[in-house]
Amino acid sequence: MSMRVVANLNVCQGHARCEDLCPEVFSTDAVEGKVVIEQPEFPPELEEKVRLAVRNCPEGALRITKGGKA
Amino acid sequence: MTLQWQPSPPDHVPTELMIDFDFFKIPKGITDPIQIWHGLVRQGVPPIFYTPHNGGHWVFLKYDDIVEGYRNYGIFSTHQTPIPPIEPFPVVQPQGMDPPEHNVFRRVLAPMFTPLAVRRMTEGLQHRAETMISHFAEKSRCDFIDDYASKFPTSTFLELFGLAEERLQEFLDLAHIFFRSTDPTERAQNLNDIYAVLEEMFREKERSPGPDMASTIVAARDANGNPHPWEDILNCGFLLFVAGLDTVTNTMAYVWRYLAITPGARAHFRSKLDDPAAFLIAIEELMRINAVSNIFRRVTHDCEYKGIRFRKNDRVILPNTVANRDRSVFDNPHTIDLDRKVNNHVTFGVGPHRCIGSHLAKREIMISLQEWLRQIPEFELDEEQDEGSVFGGSVMGFTSLKLRW
Repeated sequence: MSMRVVANLNVCQGHARCEDLCPEVFSTDAVEGKVVIEQPEFPPELEEKVRLAVRNCPEGALRITKGGKA
Repeated sequence: MTLQWQPSPPDHVPTELMIDFDFFKIPKGITDPIQIWHGLVRQGVPPIFYTPHNGGHWVFLKYDDIVEGYRNYGIFSTHQTPIPPIEPFPVVQPQGMDPPEHNVFRRVLAPMFTPLAVRRMTEGLQHRAETMISHFAEKSRCDFIDDYASKFPTSTFLELFGLAEERLQEFLDLAHIFFRSTDPTERAQNLNDIYAVLEEMFREKERSPGPDMASTIVAARDANGNPHPWEDILNCGFLLFVAGLDTVTNTMAYVWRYLAITPGARAHFRSKLDDPAAFLIAIEELMRINAVSNIFRRVTHDCEYKGIRFRKNDRVILPNTVANRDRSVFDNPHTIDLDRKVNNHVTFGVGPHRCIGSHLAKREIMISLQEWLRQIPEFELDEEQDEGSVFGGSVMGFTSLKLRW
């Protein structure tokens, strides 16, 4: 089953740690600098990097769900 | 004048929570001011305690409480927070406002400090670092504070605000008095001088705007399309002047001091010069371990937090360095691990007031270190260091740091 990462934009404060750690999946917007998930359903080879990005979010704004719509 | 923001006498504080601690005072023999905070933790003082010094204030020593202090603006406000308490005190924009009013100027500033915006500054920062370091690289020694760490962020400020580089010394002098003077008359005059410079700058940018931050701030309009109050514009300029200078200077001082005494760390960074992602992971660890800011909050109303009574206007200090070495959050918290995988440090705060300049600050430090190591791959502490060159307070650091190579 594919993995999916979701962000809570009410909680994100634009630390951009996710973008630093896994730019393949995360970027940030030009207005507030909040997370933009470029690739919500990421391939298995990126799982470790995405998990690391999630664990490094100082606000706890990211979450991994298993497949389908979050 | 009626004073509105003064804390009440601490008769609501139980004796067992009263600790004798002055965060401005660095005892003789302490060469690293951060250690006064870790000394408290080692002594086993209560994780939430009150000290009568500096007008009286609480101190939080647990990661969870420090994070709560940042996030729960319903209790812990950023409005009128100085320690010791001073009135009148300027309401700096947007830092001195709680949400939702905070959003007004945060929105003005945010686009200029996003990772995207900061990436566009890279070339300018690189050029500045390269030139500044080349001025003393051949001399085999420098005072890192005077020759680099205070100059670099001030010079960056001038460029971002569209001011002439020739004004560097004037701004260095203004900043030096602001951060280091303890003379009340000199401080009052200095504040007037800074505001006079900001006034002149914003008036000039209003007349002839350029592609700089000062012009963007002065041209910004509120939700109804009206200009922002002039006082708020000045207070926003003031925030950017004071917030991005001393913090960056002293973080750099800590980083270079550590590298000067740690050959393995210099080798680690040198080996990552062509691997920016790994270089940045190591920088994050140095951000965690060298958190120089102690952040102030003011209690908004009489309440209880964690079973402890707080009174309206009580001051609270959130020492980032303590949160960053809380063993319930970090493995081997006092060990510097330049490959640390999970690093949720709070050096730039969390919540709505997360340091808006964090990406710029990190980029300034990262580029400076890259350029430094290219020109000065090996360096050490000079045997002769100035006596009494450490200081505490809201930003901790060094007035002098002599390096040689």
